[in-house]
Amino acid sequence: MSKQSQERPNWGLSYGELVWRRFRKSRLNMACLIFVAFLLLLAVFAPFLASDRPFIVRIDGKLHFPLFKNLQLADYCIFLAAGVASLQLFVGSRRQNRKFRILSPVCCLLYVGLGSMLILAFVPRRLDATDYRALIASGKASNAVFPPIPYGYDRTNLELCRQPPSRRHWLGTDDVGTDVLCRLIHGSRISLAVGFVAVGISTIIGIVAGAILGYFGGKVDFIGMRIVEAVMAIPVFFLIITMMAFFPRSILNIMIIIGITGWTGSARFIRAEFLKLRRQDFVQAAISLALPLRSILFRHMLPNAIAPVLVNATFGISSAIFIEAALSFLGFGVAPPTPSWGQMLSLGVSTTGRFLWWLTLFPGLAIFLTVMAYNLAGEGLRDAIDPPRAGTALVSPALTGRVPPAVPGVNTAEGGRKTR
Amino acid sequence: MIGKNPATSCGAKYSSYIFRDMGNANDYLLTVENLKTYFPVKKGLLRRTVGHIRAVDGVSFSIRRGQTLGLVGESGCGKTTVARTIARLIPATAGRVVFNEVDVLSADRNNLRQLRKDISLIFQDPFGSLNPRMTVGSIIGEPLKVHRLATDGDLTEQVAALLSKVGLAGDHINRYPHEFSGGQRQRIGIARALAVQPKLIICDEPVSALDISIQAQILNLLKDLQEEFGLTYLFIAHDLAVVDFFCDVMAVMYMGRIVEQAGPEKLCRNPLHPYTRALISAIPRIGVSANCRLPIADCQLPIQKSQIENRKSKIPVGCTFGPKCSLAGPDCLRQPPPLAESSDRKGHFVACWKC
Amino acid sequence: MNGDDTILNFRFSIGNRRSAIGNQLSVEGLCVGFFTQACPEAGLSRAKSRGRGNGVVPAVQDVSFSIKKGQIFALVGESGCGKTATALAIMRLLPAGQSRVVQGKILFEGRNLLELSEKQMRLIRGSKISMVFQEPATSLNPVYTVGDQIAEAIELHQNKGADQAWEDAAAILRKVGIADPERRALEYPHRLSGGMQQRVMIAMAISCNPVLLIADEPTTALDTTVQAQILDLLDDLRKQNGMSILLITHNLGVAAQRADVVAVMYASRLVEIADSRQLLAQPHHPYTQGLLRSLPRLGSPPTGSGVERLQTIPGTVPEALHLPGGCKFHPRCRVGCADMRCRKIEPALREIQPGRWAACWRAPGYE
Repeated sequence: MSKQSQERPNWGLSYGELVWRRFRKSRLNMACLIFVAFLLLLAVFAPFLASDRPFIVRIDGKLHFPLFKNLQLADYCIFLAAGVASLQLFVGSRRQNRKFRILSPVCCLLYVGLGSMLILAFVPRRLDATDYRALIASGKASNAVFPPIPYGYDRTNLELCRQPPSRRHWLGTDDVGTDVLCRLIHGSRISLAVGFVAVGISTIIGIVAGAILGYFGGKVDFIGMRIVEAVMAIPVFFLIITMMAFFPRSILNIMIIIGITGWTGSARFIRAEFLKLRRQDFVQAAISLALPLRSILFRHMLPNAIAPVLVNATFGISSAIFIEAALSFLGFGVAPPTPSWGQMLSLGVSTTGRFLWWLTLFPGLAIFLTVMAYNLAGEGLRDAIDPPRAGTALVSPALTGRVPPAVPGVNTAEGGRKTR
Repeated sequence: MIGKNPATSCGAKYSSYIFRDMGNANDYLLTVENLKTYFPVKKGLLRRTVGHIRAVDGVSFSIRRGQTLGLVGESGCGKTTVARTIARLIPATAGRVVFNEVDVLSADRNNLRQLRKDISLIFQDPFGSLNPRMTVGSIIGEPLKVHRLATDGDLTEQVAALLSKVGLAGDHINRYPHEFSGGQRQRIGIARALAVQPKLIICDEPVSALDISIQAQILNLLKDLQEEFGLTYLFIAHDLAVVDFFCDVMAVMYMGRIVEQAGPEKLCRNPLHPYTRALISAIPRIGVSANCRLPIADCQLPIQKSQIENRKSKIPVGCTFGPKCSLAGPDCLRQPPPLAESSDRKGHFVACWKC
Repeated sequence: MNGDDTILNFRFSIGNRRSAIGNQLSVEGLCVGFFTQACPEAGLSRAKSRGRGNGVVPAVQDVSFSIKKGQIFALVGESGCGKTATALAIMRLLPAGQSRVVQGKILFEGRNLLELSEKQMRLIRGSKISMVFQEPATSLNPVYTVGDQIAEAIELHQNKGADQAWEDAAAILRKVGIADPERRALEYPHRLSGGMQQRVMIAMAISCNPVLLIADEPTTALDTTVQAQILDLLDDLRKQNGMSILLITHNLGVAAQRADVVAVMYASRLVEIADSRQLLAQPHHPYTQGLLRSLPRLGSPPTGSGVERLQTIPGTVPEALHLPGGCKFHPRCRVGCADMRCRKIEPALREIQPGRWAACWRAPGYE
């Protein structure tokens, strides 16, 4: 044993950690990841960044906290979800420590429980429509601390409508006078929500379907694949538009429909991987040791098969964002005043016939950058999982499956030889 | 360190972990009778079965407790299929397998679970036989947990004990397979097979993918473990020299049938079947010139094709080695010869009309 | 063994009935390195910071040997010892981005192959020096027929027309022992068995009558009986065409039976070169001795279960990034692990007798 490894007796780099290291090496990948993280922060903290209600205001001598009092149910749900996700991420990076493994589900439950109680206690029953800016202007309120972008996404101001970017409104105003930057920030919530939820639904359905088809094979596979092909033939866009006629226009319906029509890609990937893995020796070994079926499927086969699905998921997120933007552009997406990037794009050509360039450029740029970031991150992830293997002729052992290839010359020293 | 195996020297510390097969040493632990495994060949849009590939075509043998039987043959002869059929990874078409007085092929769920605990496998490919996503500790510990051979408390200890038995350090528990070399991975595979305290271990070409020096270490390890735990081995290989060293009984397979079976010294010194003789003479041996080789008539049909049985039957109905045999006579091509004991050599079985 | 006089003055070796005159190929002091991003799975920091100079792993270090005309030269070693890298360096097929020939000379027909341009090298590859690879199934292009692949090589190197090249291809298939070659040439590789695929590979390699054939583990993926046939074929071709063969293998038995000269590699260095019979009768290097002892021999005295063990070489081959100082084999060597000289100073490959080289301080006649 070399000295190096004696110093760290417990280390073992899991496959996930190896992939992360390889992903980290490329600056482009990290840039995309940082951009996505930035967008997520924007989406989570949108009410604190852009709102026309101040944090603190003094009215008639008393201190009020209108911003906090008026956080909606959607905001609380997003905070909860973000909290659970970051907790899991934190615990996941410290999986070696046993305490954290026990702490994590306990913490999550506590968190969700507390959060639900808070929600029920604090969500306002009535909408507060006070115009705090007007109050300050008229002198009734003072000592107000506003968020950085002190405009609301639902506050119309017809005097200032259709203004190009200026010092007051950094990205201009749209045709009802709402600040474009504020709507852009709040619109990111819709885009990201559609991306994650739609892809989440489609990936879960795809994994379950693909696993069943791949593991059992034979007749099950034959019939199942015909069903998958039938679903693939359905055009998503037109289905959504048709659904809009029957169901209320809500963002949730859009997400669900994109999800339940988009699972076929993941299903095919998982099925192909499972068919391959079924023949692998370690799966045969697991069967021969009488391990339970759920362990074989989820512990042995699924982690090895998940890689192409993850890559597909990142491309799916960007495509879902794009579909939502297209729908909103056509007018089938979310209803105003909920902001959406696609909807903002459609306002670019105004009724007066003038082309308002700031209404097209900024939302369009936002969509472009987001979709590009996800696509590049997806490609980076694919390269990190399966780096282009160069010099295969020199690496004697036949590395199968998802095992990362050894560096040529290293780790092939003892015992590795191509089998017959 | 020469000749001493690290496994036995570390074994003393974990002496509480020794298991041993306490059965009667002269009983037959495994008996295989006329085992047949055919794979259907499907063609057409509706995937109709047009024929069968006869991977295993009537194989019979028995192994005594504590002994080693070696199955030798070239690729495509069906030895791996025999192993996997006995382990019930592939469904058998016909025949009977009796293990420890239990019928393996028709065992119900409870019996099957016990059987899977008693029969374990070591695979050929060190790179494909371990799940790359699981730590070594999980790979070896999961069977222990599932079969309730260890409680949560002493799981780590038992896994460490197993690792040291096969010659690896106990602190490798949290490592992943890709951090090990081929020989070390094979050792992990052996530890996993040993974890369920089996009576019979089926070794499916465990050393074929390893280098020569590692091969010797692994063979020594397997022998040490056999001595310590009273294991029985079904050893499958294509290298006659390895089987000669390792096994008590050798059986040579050709195209799904056993053509010769005897102890290694009898078989290697006086082979009776023409295929065995050609095989032994083809092995590149140190000190033996290449010129004294027995030729096999170069029949250049791909193996799969000649095994497919369909209406326009092309396979030889007699002895499967007939088309390539230099001694073949007319009755060799009419009826397949049974595996029978040679009249002048006791304990030496051969399937040939001309011997 | 530094080949001062091999190219300019042809050496006549008397008493060697198989070889003719001169050296076909002479390798001098070849060093090949692979670039590595010091892999995290080995738990190392970047190789740069460890002072190993830009993370270059030595795959072949200071390898020198020469192959005479008409000789079968076997290069034996376990996986990872650098034998394939040596072969690829001779053919200049090392992947450009990941490896580099650090130094050395490869003298062939009066020229240093390492100094030739890619265009000049392409004229040599395939027509003067050709290579047969280990896995015939993956080395043959699955979308072209076998005849097409052989004819392509002939067309390119010998400037013949397509029809003529096809006829030549059929003739070569017959030469390598494939029955009914005209029909077989129309088949795709997946329809042929492993042995036949390897014969096709050999046909491609000899189609332009090379003077040196490099066979990189040509029979590892084949059955024993087919292996013997393929090795016979190579021997026959050698006798007919007078070409030399560099046979790379890990199987000492094959090397012993078929080769004239055997060279043993360990951890990127040559440790012993000798005539095959001499090497097996009396190996001088402890690694060779250990290898020979750890092979199970067919027909050796009967062993009951639990009685005898194979004599193994203790320990494992060192990782390329962690090579020990001094003699690379000394941690595993029975005598060398205690010897100060073996631990500190690397023994160079020296000619201890005419035709025998060894790299061991304790080899007789070394000093």
